[in-house]
Amino acid sequence: MRAKTITEEELCTFVADLVAAGTRVTAPVRAAEGKVDYRAITRFEEAAIGAELPRRSLKEFFLPPTEPLFSWRQGKGDVTVKPVSVSFPPHVVLGARPCDAAAVEILDRVMGWDYRDELWFGRREATTIVSVACPGIDGSCFCTATGRGPDSTRGSDLMMTPVDGGYFVEAVTPKGEAFVRTHAARFADVADPGTTVAAEAFRARARSRVAENLTLSLPALRSWLGSSFDHELWRTIALRCHGCGACASVCPTCHCFDIVDEPDGVRAGTRRRNWDTCQTARFTVHASGHNPRTDQNARFRQRVMHKFSIYPDRFGEVLCTGCGRCARACPGGMDLPEVLKTIAALAGADGPREAAV
Amino acid sequence: MNLYQPNLVTISDLIDETPDTRTLKLTFQDPQLAAGFDFKAGQFGEYSVFGAGESTFCIASSPTRKGSIECTFKAVGKATRAMRELGVGDTMGFRGPYGNHFPVDRMEKASVVFVAGGIGLAPVRCVIWNVLDKRDAFDEVTIVYGARSVSDLVYKRELAEWASHADIKLWQTVDPGGETSEWKGEIGFVPAIVEKAAPSAKNAFAVVCGPPVMIKYTLPVLQKLGFADDRVYTTLENRMKCGIGKCGRCNVGPVYVCKDGPVFTAKELAALPPEY
Repeated sequence: MRAKTITEEELCTFVADLVAAGTRVTAPVRAAEGKVDYRAITRFEEAAIGAELPRRSLKEFFLPPTEPLFSWRQGKGDVTVKPVSVSFPPHVVLGARPCDAAAVEILDRVMGWDYRDELWFGRREATTIVSVACPGIDGSCFCTATGRGPDSTRGSDLMMTPVDGGYFVEAVTPKGEAFVRTHAARFADVADPGTTVAAEAFRARARSRVAENLTLSLPALRSWLGSSFDHELWRTIALRCHGCGACASVCPTCHCFDIVDEPDGVRAGTRRRNWDTCQTARFTVHASGHNPRTDQNARFRQRVMHKFSIYPDRFGEVLCTGCGRCARACPGGMDLPEVLKTIAALAGADGPREAAV
Repeated sequence: MNLYQPNLVTISDLIDETPDTRTLKLTFQDPQLAAGFDFKAGQFGEYSVFGAGESTFCIASSPTRKGSIECTFKAVGKATRAMRELGVGDTMGFRGPYGNHFPVDRMEKASVVFVAGGIGLAPVRCVIWNVLDKRDAFDEVTIVYGARSVSDLVYKRELAEWASHADIKLWQTVDPGGETSEWKGEIGFVPAIVEKAAPSAKNAFAVVCGPPVMIKYTLPVLQKLGFADDRVYTTLENRMKCGIGKCGRCNVGPVYVCKDGPVFTAKELAALPPEY
């Protein structure tokens, strides 16, 4: 499918059409406290597309912070279980960041290997992700170092790039193409070849801006991690870490969860899946009291290992999109890009040493 | 019904093994599942009490015995304490079977040495019955089982049955001080009794499960007896939630205990970082 363009005015109509058809539309919205979050919108004017990075990623729209797995009711001697639905109404995310869209596709692997998580894929199938190319946010961004970039199309069905008067639009998936066809009246063909050039120039600028923050050799990093479980780096790495899990909460790819029962009275209740994090002490503690990960250094090592060694070994790509949220959110000043830089130096995998973060 | 919704099972029998350990016999309420449920020795499941949550243990009965499954547990956490409160006729949840299994087929025509300590006999018992139910397919069978005290020995009725079989060499032991005046078995720690029993490593496999300290000191004994570390199997426990490779909880380095395990060879275990 050829690239298209869409104006801000047409986007207004587009959102109105979707909402009128009963489609849930989510976009970055500037919240009352001035921060940007992905939230439901009913009019395009509510969206803050291209503003700063939303505080949380898109993860919660596919793996909610808490969700029911089923509910039960106890009768006399028997139990009746009521399943939850695994089909979901149509949903469009408009103005997703490429790092957040990529994360969703990366998580498809763990959610789909061997056992298929119907709740995750039910929401995935119901959702069309329209991303907007990112200009790069700040010094904590390192998406280019994770093998993606501010214009990565991974996980997106459609990719929009800001150009004068609107957006340059490319369909990435068959779902994205079908979406453009369905809403053909909203999109125009690219009239001026300069538009394509301008879009590419925007993206090239963004890529080089982010690449200045950090460059890495991921294979060298992975190879060092694979053989450095006992390295002295891990003995002091997490001295500043409080184990609060803010990093995992804002992370687009952290997907650890807990399963707990929430009673509703004494004879009924709901079993729920809740976000959890490997950064807390209780995460791995056995009922006996034995805890295989005894201190915060070990827990932080697990986080780094899982993202840059274990997940790539198992699923072929790093479990990180370089969004930098963990570094921005940490109350203790733990900075993953800095940690990666240190490891890269140990692994001989670092890029230009003068690179600024 | 999604992946995390358990099948309903009824407690059809219960046996108190020790003052704090109980075995439950569970029958699937769905008749089709009750007739068709199959698993392999060493696989585990997520057992749940509605309102208290899930707990992970191996299936302690043998796959050769159809119609129901058994689990043996100690009431130490929220879910297991709630399980302890249930009685015959009550309903529980079960998801599984999950994980890999002991290579019982590979052990055929060979001798098998079982070494277990305390409640660690539960997963081993599953393999023992699997082997005994096809006794002719195997060569020598040796069982070394120990617990802290006589009252901590689980499956006492089955130990008595195994002791009466001429084609099973059974060594029972209790830790020094754990014996009673009637105790006729050994007194000593499991690794020492394995050394004393000295089973032949010739064309043999070993299946070991028990407290980490027992495993730690048993492995060198088996090695001394000539067991190759890829013919010694054990089963690993780590905290789990999903049991199916998603929740990110049970990994030991690159290994997901729920998917790559719970059964590992001593060789595989030696290659893992010490996070279990």
